[in-house]
Amino acid sequence: MNAPLRPRFAGLAAAAVLAVTLAGCTPGSGGTPAPTLDPDREIETDVSALGDRTLTVWDQEVRGGQDEQMTRLNAAFEEEYPNITIERVSQSFDDLGRTLRLALSGDNAPDVVQANNSRASMGAFVAADQLLPLDPWAEEYGWADRYPESILTYSTYSDDATTFGEGSLYGLPQVGEVVGVFYSKAKLDQLGIDVPADWEAFEAALRTAKDAGETPLLLGNIEKWPAGHVFGPVQGALVDSEEIQSLGFGNEGASWLTPENVAAAAKLASWQTEGFFNEGVNGTDYDAAWQSLAAGDGVFLMGGSWLAADLQDAMGEDVGFFVPPATAGEGARTTGGTGLPFTVTSATDTPDLAAAYIDYITSDDAMAILAETGNLPVVDTQQYAPASGVLRDVYTAFGSVTEEGALLPYLDYATPTMGDTLGEALQGLLDGRLSPEQVTEALEADYADFTAAD
Amino acid sequence: MRRAGPSAGPTPYLLILPAFLVYGAFLLFPLARSVHLSLFDWDGLTLATFVGFDNYIDIATDERLRAAFGHALVLVFFFAILPVCIGLALAAVLTRARVRGLPLFRTIVFLPQVIAMVVVAIAWRQIYAPDGVLNTALRAVGLDALTRAWLGDYTFSLPAVGLIGTWVSTGLVTVLLMAGMARIPAELFESARLDGAGAVREFFSIIVPAVRPEATVALTLTVVASLKTFDLIYVTTGGGPGSSTTVPSYEVYRRAFELGEVGSAAAVGVTLTAVIFALSVVINRRAERGA
Amino acid sequence: MRIGVGERAANYIVLVGVSVLVLAPILTILIAAFSPASASAAREGAFHPGNFVAAWQEGRFGSYMATSVLVAAIVVTLAVGLSLLSGYAFGTMTFRGQNVLFYLFLLGIMVPAEAIIVPLFFDLRTLGLTDTVWAVSLPQVAQSVAFGTYWMRTYFRGVNRSVIEAARLDGASSQRVLWSILVPMGRPAITTMVVLMFMWTWNEFLIPLVMSPSGSFRTAPLGLALFQGQYTQGTALLAAGAVLVALPVVLLYFLLQRHFIRGMLDGAVKE
Repeated sequence: MNAPLRPRFAGLAAAAVLAVTLAGCTPGSGGTPAPTLDPDREIETDVSALGDRTLTVWDQEVRGGQDEQMTRLNAAFEEEYPNITIERVSQSFDDLGRTLRLALSGDNAPDVVQANNSRASMGAFVAADQLLPLDPWAEEYGWADRYPESILTYSTYSDDATTFGEGSLYGLPQVGEVVGVFYSKAKLDQLGIDVPADWEAFEAALRTAKDAGETPLLLGNIEKWPAGHVFGPVQGALVDSEEIQSLGFGNEGASWLTPENVAAAAKLASWQTEGFFNEGVNGTDYDAAWQSLAAGDGVFLMGGSWLAADLQDAMGEDVGFFVPPATAGEGARTTGGTGLPFTVTSATDTPDLAAAYIDYITSDDAMAILAETGNLPVVDTQQYAPASGVLRDVYTAFGSVTEEGALLPYLDYATPTMGDTLGEALQGLLDGRLSPEQVTEALEADYADFTAAD
Repeated sequence: MRRAGPSAGPTPYLLILPAFLVYGAFLLFPLARSVHLSLFDWDGLTLATFVGFDNYIDIATDERLRAAFGHALVLVFFFAILPVCIGLALAAVLTRARVRGLPLFRTIVFLPQVIAMVVVAIAWRQIYAPDGVLNTALRAVGLDALTRAWLGDYTFSLPAVGLIGTWVSTGLVTVLLMAGMARIPAELFESARLDGAGAVREFFSIIVPAVRPEATVALTLTVVASLKTFDLIYVTTGGGPGSSTTVPSYEVYRRAFELGEVGSAAAVGVTLTAVIFALSVVINRRAERGA
Repeated sequence: MRIGVGERAANYIVLVGVSVLVLAPILTILIAAFSPASASAAREGAFHPGNFVAAWQEGRFGSYMATSVLVAAIVVTLAVGLSLLSGYAFGTMTFRGQNVLFYLFLLGIMVPAEAIIVPLFFDLRTLGLTDTVWAVSLPQVAQSVAFGTYWMRTYFRGVNRSVIEAARLDGASSQRVLWSILVPMGRPAITTMVVLMFMWTWNEFLIPLVMSPSGSFRTAPLGLALFQGQYTQGTALLAAGAVLVALPVVLLYFLLQRHFIRGMLDGAVKE
């Protein structure tokens, strides 16, 4: 008697519960407000007084020299403070970008994370209250004296993240970055060309290499973003720097549709049609490209200073680096800035330790270790310049670009979707299926949508 | 109902209850919640806005999403239809003349089914690399003109990914069809041959009708597998170049967890499920009607 | 049958040809796994089994594999237990709502993880359950239970009715009939189910990717995908890592291949 009724009743009850749950709940309504720190709390700068703690750090320092500096600094930190254990999770730039959004949304978020300055990453996390403003610690540790203001600007957002470059400080980078051209000295000798002094000479060198049957310019663009590091310097040479700043930071008042921007895209496209690149750039791994340079399969490689340590390791004295200025003798304008800044998550239960850690890995001693391991320390860079090798070239280029030229923001900083838009547009351009005009229109659409909504 | 059971009491419900609780909580409920979420515009963090069917309208109008579903259909061809055609031919050839080594053959061709898709994807990404095995092989036989960066080519990346699916599915389909063909009584072939039927007529008049149930199963399995392809895309192309290899399952992940378009992601997931159901029903209906 | 020598020879060619096509990609990765990882390693010879040790350490596969084992153990144990009970009910008993309930379970075989992953993540996050081994395991238990219920029902329905009747007459309870008669008899069917569930769980990618955002419960395939990005020096160690991740299931396949093949073939919903 009971049994036949039971399932029907149970079914009805389940359906009712489900209906009530669904109807009564708008997604996102039950969220707890982000914990706010008491502004008057005492900051503890003595790590040994914090007791036994584990600090979870997510970084993307996977390349040879980067990994080495991180390992050394972490070990040194643990040695100095035996009460602290560092739990390090390192993954590639791509994977960090993919997983960070999820990681920060949970209660078990890591304590310290390296977050891209872009609006898609840092901006979104700031807007969602997932990162802590570091101003109290900056004051305590004197970070404003340690870092030039221009660098801190890159990690500064307003509280609601609508303005990039103003507001609170959210992170500190370890390294400087400059995007330029790596080359094989042996190949240049063989081709009888000098290190190009400006863009005209660089293009002529590419043509000479091509005519000699070499692969002039190596690029691995399967990840979509690497081509941005070729386009950036080209744009830097052809477009007004202030215009690029506005486009890069996603601030109003600029346009992608200017003839200069179209010309920059057209320049990149012409390199492709002239056959300067290796075959199948869109199907080549980023890392395979620099390995090709090391293996002697190409003459030039455009990329960031972060590749220097790996290339020096693989090529020794054979590799060099330069950033061509628009006209010989003046300072070059190119993409660059800082490495991904280290930030503190609002889920951390030990913000003082997190801040102390960041202070430690950006201290003067840390900068010395960064330099020793083949990186480009962002503070007092020139003081660490090595006497020779590709790293000397990198230091020189970084110095001349920051002092005489202009360091331009990564273009994907601009909007939450610009990374995808730029990557896909440039893949299309390099494939020949998008015209330079179509590329700039796609970029303008993304930029204008974002700035209009602001 | 085949048989009258002894129990009319609560026992069967009690037996089913634990399974149903887990199943209901972690599959049925989330499925319903997906439908619910798909009606909202939500970034996963702040309060959502109800938008009705807008997210579904987007699937029909947004070029990228429409293309994603189009790509999924191309993958259906490579994961399901092509393997069934190859499998039919292979199984027929191997059934006609019993040769030695079939058990070993079965073991080998089935192998791709048990290897994690991530491993498969990493292997093939190396094979398809510009200086990978495939291009090296093509150059070795003088087909330099055919070499290309397979995964970076707007025209060829989707078929290249699809062929990985063909490689994975063909073994399963072949083994399945061979099992079906083994059931065909030898006399059928004998009498057909007495009538002077050649291999081709034998194939279409005896083999194909006889293995219809197996072919249906094979199609259902592989179609569902092709539409669920996520890890393969994630590891090989990330949807590129451009968005030329993006598929619905990848868009679900990208939208929900990278872009923060949760409602849209849920709508894509729900639509994908509907497509899987619809295709399975169509395949099985057709099989019944034809049988 | 009268089959000519020519056709037989052609068959062998087909057999070998297809086998080569299937094996070639697997061999490629195996060869890559043993190849030198760097220029300096290349000078020491061409055969480098040490890659596996290096990959194991650099890729942290020890901890990923441990998670995989843990998750697989939970999923298989729970799913098998629950499926036995529900399959027993569906296969040997008659009750109201039987068909509706059964079709509800069948639905689960078709529902892709993509359709449930979004609410699963956000709802479990609200409950503070993401980043637990349960968040990674239970959705997979649900998927496996859908299949397991179907699979065990088929087995129980196929059991000769008189066996159950006889036990009943001896006064055995339905619990006893299940555990001391039907389960031991059904060992082959259950083994098949176990190996399939193990394989699916081991190879699953999306659920662990999403449900353990902080990375504390990353399974081996996920670790491998991350290793691909992390390891920038070439392909040898990546290939070695890939071999390591595939190995457990492949070994099991060679031991129990009949179960794999039969399971995959019969497991398809035919009703």
